[in-house]
Amino acid sequence: MLDLRVPSGWFFTLLGVILAGMGLFAPESRAPLTDVNINLYSGVAMLIFGLFLLVMARLAANKSR
Amino acid sequence: MKLAPVDYVILATYFAMVLGIGWMLRKKVSTSGDFLLSGRAVPVWITSLAFIAANLGAQELIGMAASGAKYGIMTAHFYWIGAIPAMVFMGLFMMPFYYGSKARSVPEYLKMRFDEKTRGFNAFTFAVMTIFSSGISMYALGLLLHLVLGWNFSTSVLATAAIVLAYTYLGGLTSAIYNEVLQFFLIVAGFAPLAILACVKAGGWHGIMARLPANMTHSWRYVGSAAQNPMGVEIFGVVAGLGFVLSFGYWCTNFLVVQRAMAADSMSAARRTPLVGAIPKMFLPFIVILPGIAAVALAQMTAAGGAHLYDLPVKMAGGVLVKDYDQVLTTLMAKFYPAGILGVGLTGLMASFMSGMAGNVTAFNTVFTYDIYQSYIRKGAPDSHYLTVGRMTTIVGVALSIGAAYLAQYYNNIMDLLQFVFGFVNAPLFATFLLGMFWKRATANGAFWGLVTGTVAASLTWGLTVAEGKGGVFGLVHTFPSVMAQNFWIAIFAFTSCFLVTIAVSVVTRKRAESELEGLVYGLTKIRHEEGAKWYERPAVLAVSVLVLAVILNIWFA
Repeated sequence: MLDLRVPSGWFFTLLGVILAGMGLFAPESRAPLTDVNINLYSGVAMLIFGLFLLVMARLAANKSR
Repeated sequence: MKLAPVDYVILATYFAMVLGIGWMLRKKVSTSGDFLLSGRAVPVWITSLAFIAANLGAQELIGMAASGAKYGIMTAHFYWIGAIPAMVFMGLFMMPFYYGSKARSVPEYLKMRFDEKTRGFNAFTFAVMTIFSSGISMYALGLLLHLVLGWNFSTSVLATAAIVLAYTYLGGLTSAIYNEVLQFFLIVAGFAPLAILACVKAGGWHGIMARLPANMTHSWRYVGSAAQNPMGVEIFGVVAGLGFVLSFGYWCTNFLVVQRAMAADSMSAARRTPLVGAIPKMFLPFIVILPGIAAVALAQMTAAGGAHLYDLPVKMAGGVLVKDYDQVLTTLMAKFYPAGILGVGLTGLMASFMSGMAGNVTAFNTVFTYDIYQSYIRKGAPDSHYLTVGRMTTIVGVALSIGAAYLAQYYNNIMDLLQFVFGFVNAPLFATFLLGMFWKRATANGAFWGLVTGTVAASLTWGLTVAEGKGGVFGLVHTFPSVMAQNFWIAIFAFTSCFLVTIAVSVVTRKRAESELEGLVYGLTKIRHEEGAKWYERPAVLAVSVLVLAVILNIWFA
């Protein structure tokens, strides 16, 4: 059976890279009420979540082998 | 609101992702059971997240933010007194009968426990309800995207429906469930930052409390009388109507959610599904309701120039300007989200819509194929025939939902009414299940006539009472302080009449032999206790932890 953690891990890693990249290279892009670099912070959070899912999937795959 | 190229890239990646998951799962489908029931092989963390995601449609997301702005923290009653206790009850006491009976759907359980007519009654009302709910939510999304982004109504409705159709057609229920988990993650990723930003900007919970009337920041303190709280409900209506009848009716008998738990790979996993799901569920109010409450506080704050930070959206209705709470969520996104995270937020909104729609379509599929087609149209065909029917029903179900969405566009008021009716149509059903599962003397005729009476009682209560100037079609007996209170009381009357009539008719009709009820009724069913299971995997331990957490949340925001 497909391990859902693999595709969703890649998906969030990619989202995280896009958002963190936006945060790094266009830090001045803000909406009227945002005071912080929200792209950077949420991008890093998504990147960590994505990598976490991938690591979990890899550990599970090693265990069952 | 204007989207940047990066937002479109994120949206496109998500679409590719859901289609890809459907594509990867297509080979798993070789029988009708694989397609409609997931072959009962899905791990518990996936079923439990799908369990709450199927309910978290776009309308739910938009509606909860709207209610947060309108009623304040009392909206959390839908979670902390509503969903959570019901989910615990379902996992602990009802799942053993659903899963253990080997029924493939909720109507089929009714057939096994009672008889054909009770199943037919439930299968038909459920099928009609899922199509209309899916259509109404499609309409709501199309309207919102048109309003916010200027997208064409037909294009956005047809494109999203086509994607949902593609991935459910390919991988069936498994594909719907797997995607629901991804969609759940996206909803959190897209809206948690908004909740945090809005709440911080409004000065945190203390800042919000200082700016809002006290009855919007306390969930229990003002429920003593309907006149004191913004919802216009009193404590008995909340606890009995919402907390007991409506929530237990929805979470314990609605096949849309029950189907997710039934797809689990073992009895123990099926029981844990609603229990594990309850943990993220009870923290959802912080993501879906809190932005709405913070919006009201922001609307009272002024920037250096003297302008309001945020204005609650308004619309014209009958020649006067009224608040348009349904736009609170999207206007907040426009205020707080720059390009990038805006794409994630919008994708989250799309994801919630898709998870809700796929939930409706897959539930409709199973009920139509097994409970209507196989029971009344063509019995005894080979399984491959039912697999084809299941696939065709997916297409028909999506087409009918699209039809309902256009119907909603032209007959707006009828749809409001339907949605209101759906709010209590399930209420009597919980009485039927309660008696069916825990009282072996309940008979088929008792259940059927109880259900009919309950439904009639609900319609009569609705037709004889007025709330906020609506209703009273058959006359006027009582006026409720709010539509919410009316809805709660309709549910209470429906439940009570169904309960009493089922008992009365059961006592005078012939009972079934106990041997026929094994596995279906409490006391005649062996419920295996998982001696080998780790302590945190035991349903009772999970249930107690969930309830303790829910009590803490209730007290915290009382």
